[in-house]
Amino acid sequence: MKLFRQLVNWIDVRIGVGELVEKELTGYLLPRNINAWYSLGSILLTAFAIQVVTGILLLVYYVPDADKAFASVTAIMNNVPFGWLVRLLHAVGSNMMVLALLLHMLSVLWMGSYKRPRELNWLSGFILFNLVTGACLTGYLLPWSQLSFWATTVATNSVGAIPVVGGHLVEFLRGGKLVGAPTLGRFFALHVAVIPLIIGALVGAHLFLLQRIGVSSPPFGLDDTTNRWQGDVFRYESHPGGIPFVPNYLLQDLTSIFVYLACFLAVVFFDPYLFFPKEAFSPANPYLTPAHIKPEWYFLPNYQTLKIFPSELLGLAVQGVAMTLLALLPFLDRGGERHPLKRPLFRIGYVGGILLWLGLMVWGHYS
Amino acid sequence: MDNAGRRKFLVTLLAGGGAAAAAAAAWPLYRYLAPAGGGSAAAVVVIPENEVNEGQAKFFQYAGSAAVLVRKRGGELIALSAVCTHLGCIVQWVNEKQEFLCPCHAGLYSAEGAVLSGPPPKPLAPIPFKVAGGTIRVGEVA
Ligand code: HEM
Ligand code: FES
Repeated sequence: MKLFRQLVNWIDVRIGVGELVEKELTGYLLPRNINAWYSLGSILLTAFAIQVVTGILLLVYYVPDADKAFASVTAIMNNVPFGWLVRLLHAVGSNMMVLALLLHMLSVLWMGSYKRPRELNWLSGFILFNLVTGACLTGYLLPWSQLSFWATTVATNSVGAIPVVGGHLVEFLRGGKLVGAPTLGRFFALHVAVIPLIIGALVGAHLFLLQRIGVSSPPFGLDDTTNRWQGDVFRYESHPGGIPFVPNYLLQDLTSIFVYLACFLAVVFFDPYLFFPKEAFSPANPYLTPAHIKPEWYFLPNYQTLKIFPSELLGLAVQGVAMTLLALLPFLDRGGERHPLKRPLFRIGYVGGILLWLGLMVWGHYS
Repeated sequence: MDNAGRRKFLVTLLAGGGAAAAAAAAWPLYRYLAPAGGGSAAAVVVIPENEVNEGQAKFFQYAGSAAVLVRKRGGELIALSAVCTHLGCIVQWVNEKQEFLCPCHAGLYSAEGAVLSGPPPKPLAPIPFKVAGGTIRVGEVA
């Protein structure tokens, strides 16, 4: 213990750990009325770390070759000790992470935290959401099952509706006329290297932005006592008299992370195949399209939208417009009021948007 | 209980729980990465007799490692580990001299595996085998 103290002291004298802890952790004050929804960011960091670690472990036994991929994944599930655990953590984890992302977005929307001066936080987060779904899409192909093959065929096909360049774009994405071995090569590179690196960099930017401007106060409960950003000069939004991040909010973060892990592991251990339809268990056959091929739950609304519109181009355009509007929301919705109960129009859009999205998902599931 | 005592109790509880959770995660990780088992009880390797001609050597996998069968001029069969006893390179059969040469540091062995020259400290390890009905059964004691 004495030796440990001496070691800590030795380091502290040189890099000032104590000061750093004081400034960034114990002296980092959060608004008194902060709530549990603010811990979704920490849940997401944990979820991303789990994806990275289990992904690296899968790379030990996975073979990115169209002739061997399915067999290698089957071997991970059946022969490698605890391979089933690593694979399920990765596959189920991706679904849980998308769920956590959606909750994070819904909570910053509801509390109006996306509004100025946090437009860039929203924008970087929105790009992150798209990258995470991109990682899910590319990862889906890797087991080279019937599900992988045909889901990727359908997903890449929809790009073909874009006028003029569509056909060429589809071929470029696939690395050939149809989904095949070249598609696996490029999706593999995207999934294990390109997308994770960009996600990592963007998470860094997301947190940097948050650290610079400071955490928002929830619009509920206590009156906001913080110094207000005016748009004239940079002002850090401090929370004098707030609660310290360490230990108070760290405890909330840890509690939320464990609640998340409990839900996540409950699926892994008690309903491991919740997200696996039966096509996931047979190897890809390019000459045999299965009867009811559906995308993952979070892509079902997109899938259904493409189906409702008489022209694929129209369906694609509608989604493009919706996503662009969402991405630019803080630049369009510029009012200062953040309390949801004082924003009736916002409330209608919020609830209506969720219901529309869920409705399309259910419809897509049963159609 | 006073506050300090309560805090110490909770910290101990938390540390214990954390250690248990870490161990529960470390075991699957170790097992996942541990080399595949089944290497200790070596399976018998069956090689047709006519695949090893007089004066020639045949290399093959045995018990997860490299092994070699030699039929000396005159017909005598020998089975050896092909792993050099110096630093573990795989020896080569030199047909003209009827010797094993290790290409890494020029260790030289006789057809029986005895060290002739160079750094190897020990002879090549012999492997038991049995010849029956036109096949060589490496790993079975005659
Ligand atoms: C890999 C995915 C993501 C990670 C790891 C992440 C992480 C975090 C963390 C740690 C915080 C601070 C604590 C909190 O308020 O929760 C935060 C805040 C924020 N995030 Fe994310 N996030 C991600 C994705 C997103 C997405 C998809 C959006 C929305 C499109 C978003 C929008 C925001 C906003 C606006 C804030 C500021 C909230 C405030 O100050 O009250 N984030 N994020
Ligand atoms: S390893 Fe064979 S001589 Fe050195």
